[in-house]
Amino acid sequence: MTLPQVPILPILPELILTLFGIAVMLFDPFTAKPHKSWLSSLAFIGVLAALAGNVLLLAAEGEYYNGMIIVDSFSVFFNFLFLIIAGLSILASRQYLVREGVNHSEYYGLLLFATVGMCFMGGANELIMIFIGLEITSISTYVLAGFRRTDLKSNEAAIKYFLLGSFATAFLLYGIALMYGATHTTHLSQISSALLTGRIDLRLVLAGTALMMVGFSFKVATAPFQIWTPDVYEGAPIPVTGWMSVGPKAAGFAAFLRVFFVALPALDQKWFWVLWVSSVLTMTIGNTAAMLQSNIKRMLAYSSIAHAGYILVAFAALTPNGIASIMFYLLAYSVMNLGAFAVISAWSLSGERRVTIDEFAGLGYRQPWLAAAFTVFLLGLTGIPLTAGFTGKFFMFRAAINSKLYWLTIIALLNSAASLYYYLRPTIAMYMREPGESGRTSAPQDSAPLQISMATKVVIAVSVLAVFYLGLFPSTILDFAQSSAFLVH
Amino acid sequence: MEFIDSHILTILILMPVAGAMFLALLDPGKHEAIRRTALVVALLTFVFSLHLVIHFVPHEAGFQFEENSPWVPAFGMNYHLGIDGISLWLVLLTTFLTSVSVLASWKGIEKRVKEFFIFILLLEAGMVGVFASLDLFLFYVFWEVMLVPMYFLIGIWGHGRRIYAAVKFIIYTAVGSAFMLVAILSLYFLNAHATGAPTFDFTTILDNIVNGRLVIEPRIQVWLFLAFFLSFAIKVPLFPLHTWLPDAHTEAPTAGSVLLAGVLLKMGTYGLLRFNIQLFPDATQTFTPLIVALAIIGIIYGALVAMVQPDLKRLVAYSSVSHLGFVVLGIFVFNIQGVEGAVYQMLNHGISTGALFLIVGMIYERRHTREISEFGGLATPMPVLATIFLIITLSSIGLPLLNGFVGEFLILVGTFGAAVARAKLYCTLAASGVILGAVYMLWMYQRVIFGEVTHDVNKTLPDLSAREKWVLVPMVVMALWMGIYPQFFLRKMDASVSKLLNAPRVMMVRK
Amino acid sequence: MLRSYLPILIQIILASLIGFGILGLSYLVGKHKPTPEKLMPYESGVRPTGSAHERFAVKFYLTAMLFILFDVEVIFLYPWAVIYRELRFFGFFEMLTFILVVLAGYVYIWKKGALDWNKN
Repeated sequence: MTLPQVPILPILPELILTLFGIAVMLFDPFTAKPHKSWLSSLAFIGVLAALAGNVLLLAAEGEYYNGMIIVDSFSVFFNFLFLIIAGLSILASRQYLVREGVNHSEYYGLLLFATVGMCFMGGANELIMIFIGLEITSISTYVLAGFRRTDLKSNEAAIKYFLLGSFATAFLLYGIALMYGATHTTHLSQISSALLTGRIDLRLVLAGTALMMVGFSFKVATAPFQIWTPDVYEGAPIPVTGWMSVGPKAAGFAAFLRVFFVALPALDQKWFWVLWVSSVLTMTIGNTAAMLQSNIKRMLAYSSIAHAGYILVAFAALTPNGIASIMFYLLAYSVMNLGAFAVISAWSLSGERRVTIDEFAGLGYRQPWLAAAFTVFLLGLTGIPLTAGFTGKFFMFRAAINSKLYWLTIIALLNSAASLYYYLRPTIAMYMREPGESGRTSAPQDSAPLQISMATKVVIAVSVLAVFYLGLFPSTILDFAQSSAFLVH
Repeated sequence: MEFIDSHILTILILMPVAGAMFLALLDPGKHEAIRRTALVVALLTFVFSLHLVIHFVPHEAGFQFEENSPWVPAFGMNYHLGIDGISLWLVLLTTFLTSVSVLASWKGIEKRVKEFFIFILLLEAGMVGVFASLDLFLFYVFWEVMLVPMYFLIGIWGHGRRIYAAVKFIIYTAVGSAFMLVAILSLYFLNAHATGAPTFDFTTILDNIVNGRLVIEPRIQVWLFLAFFLSFAIKVPLFPLHTWLPDAHTEAPTAGSVLLAGVLLKMGTYGLLRFNIQLFPDATQTFTPLIVALAIIGIIYGALVAMVQPDLKRLVAYSSVSHLGFVVLGIFVFNIQGVEGAVYQMLNHGISTGALFLIVGMIYERRHTREISEFGGLATPMPVLATIFLIITLSSIGLPLLNGFVGEFLILVGTFGAAVARAKLYCTLAASGVILGAVYMLWMYQRVIFGEVTHDVNKTLPDLSAREKWVLVPMVVMALWMGIYPQFFLRKMDASVSKLLNAPRVMMVRK
Repeated sequence: MLRSYLPILIQIILASLIGFGILGLSYLVGKHKPTPEKLMPYESGVRPTGSAHERFAVKFYLTAMLFILFDVEVIFLYPWAVIYRELRFFGFFEMLTFILVVLAGYVYIWKKGALDWNKN
């Protein structure tokens, strides 16, 4: 018999990431403590290699492995996004891990493995594959959330995320099972054609859809399944929080979009209203709660809920333009949020102290460039023009208006305006208050000059540039996203 | 020269931005160098803006100095700039007042000097951008982005409750513009469905409306009009949306107040004139009585409230509500006198209220209080200031031969002859606003300047320094020039205003 | 379709019947004369002291988990062995890769000291 031809190109980025992940884990015990940082460089090289591999994927569009994996510009776009997120996160974590005394290379290994899972979620063309990708991502994330083992809050975050996450995965799995029961297939396009035949049990399909929606809603943290977010985001180590708020969320949306637009377009009038209501709830709850926070991580956690709500607005538009704008926005949101968390990580002190908004007082004059970058990220997150956040939101709301979702867009825009209130609070602290004016007296060692590592600076600089690039010249990325979105739709 | 000719507006926008970037690189400790650099940049921008006046063709009604290049072609967004006879003067007002503001902030700003001038210059770029944009998307971009430097100016260098005022300012305006964004998008899709060519280009959409290629149902026009109107009316601010204004004006540093009153408020009236009236003529017709009523309430209410203010700056702030009421009234009477008067009054208000804020700022720098009761008899120690203050006060209340007279007179004439019901009544009510204006301004002037020196500290106050004279004299010159020879300014706006009023759809409103 | 699962159902029923049957029978048929000695956990052993809820070193769990992990991985060798001849060299190299991955894990836990009972 001849050897079966197994193409490796379609999963090349995933393979590269896995190999590098294993290598990082394996080299760790052989590396003396002072030299551990080269392993993070290794992980970063792995991400770069996977990016190169991803470029090759552009020429290999099609379905592979009996249709389990699909390579199209949608999946390639998301691979790029996940790899960029992973690369920035690796760089942003280096200094933090050393400072917190948890510089274990497993961190980087897990980050790479989680990225593998995310890439599978973006490229999966079949429900089981999505589930596997989700599990790979989630399990790595559970560990990462608890990476500061000796810290109770970090432990709480990990356990909470693990318990609730497993629960949500179970919902998703049950939904998949029901869908399979009704349509006898887990392939997305076959589900779609099965639904069109009309010879299926619609009750099962609807129950399956609802359960899958619960599962995805949990993963992307939209109301009413967002309750876990603040505690987990607050407890997890700062770079992990930054990563979680963009990476797994983007992956969740990638799978969410593909499942609902490829497999379930026939039912879109049924799930449209669920999205509509969920969107309003998500934005409003996220923004309202964010206003009341004093801890900056918690504030950004709630605001990330609000951002998922804005994304649902474009989701509810049910058009290729809507999908494209979501893709663009996920990229924009990722660079802004990663940048913001890099600043928080640079400003905070060991043991994750100095993370309340008041404690940013005076940053504007002690570290003008750091503060300026933070201001750019915050304004971007608010959606002030010339930043990525504005173009992203503008495209999403454009898609929504195109689908005549006037009220939803107005609610979203008012939410956006309200978000100014809390996004500006750090700028008030940074520029308009003197240190110590808030009544807190900081210990003398806290006013020592900040040491910001080169890697962190690179992350912040790259993010700032990306925020402005996407804000000023969105065309290239937008056109790419648009061409991909038509494929999915 | 060729390059300057074809890119003058971009130069006017980018020059302050480049200046701000350069400032960012300077050593924050070298205050004098920073101030000088900022002044050079502001003056250079002003000089370049004179290019507009010199090369502007007066009888050309359309847009001049146009620049148009695609920005996001997939969605029909363009980088389209251009000015007509209306925006020409507003751009000039911006560059002029920015230069004055920079010079006026020489002494008053002691902390974070570098950041202060960076924000002033960025603000200038945004303001010029608003007046020069001919693409709705671009307009919105400048409209929003300009809030940020103003927010920081109020929040960092303001007085008293500065943070409250800054946040209130930015959220108030952002809520307004949220509705405008929805309206812009809706208009964009209406136009795209009607003509098949999606574009945010204002001139194209306007052409389509004028030529009947794009017909918007009155019912939809009402919503779009309201959305734009809300955003602009907050900015103007029109009664009853004015509540952010006294806080922002009072707490802002002097330069901030000057630019806020001098330029930012004009964006609201400019928006009404440029967008609301031309794009939604049917709805304009529906809402004209309401808006005229609000404008008149604003005139009288602003004047009455200004009368009882114990704080100098608050008094000037409320007088803005009154004056901007005049501007709105002039716009919504739809005749050439009214609209030209409105545009002229926008410029006047920029000069006279700007100068008033400068004077209040100078007094504040000396005494660190703005309570009217703390002063009295300032004419004795500060004769030069008293003289200039008098000229500006008279200009603000509209004495003939000074700028305020021309604008108010034109507006009142326009209102008197307006083709709306009860025009004479409106005219009478608005004229009573002029009288009230004279009352509160002169009363204020009398309490501050005349009489015995009631507080001993005031006896030794130094008079204007050379720099302060340099700040105020150009304002006085402008006030006189605009009052004595208004034709110089009006001639250049004639064609544009007539074109605006003679557009077939707007004609219909006029009847 | 469900018919094909019938034998499994029958097996489950039979297995539970036999299991519970034997337990039930011995309960019914056997004699019950409990004495304190008989009720002790270890009838002829040392007298137990302290509470049964004792804290275990986490090492036990670690060892148990590692055992299960590798045990499960080894199970994959069985089906592979059955069709080894059909797979030929392809199968050989595939399994080699698999073993290498497992080996990597083994080296990792070894060097991390997870197998070192007396560590710390």
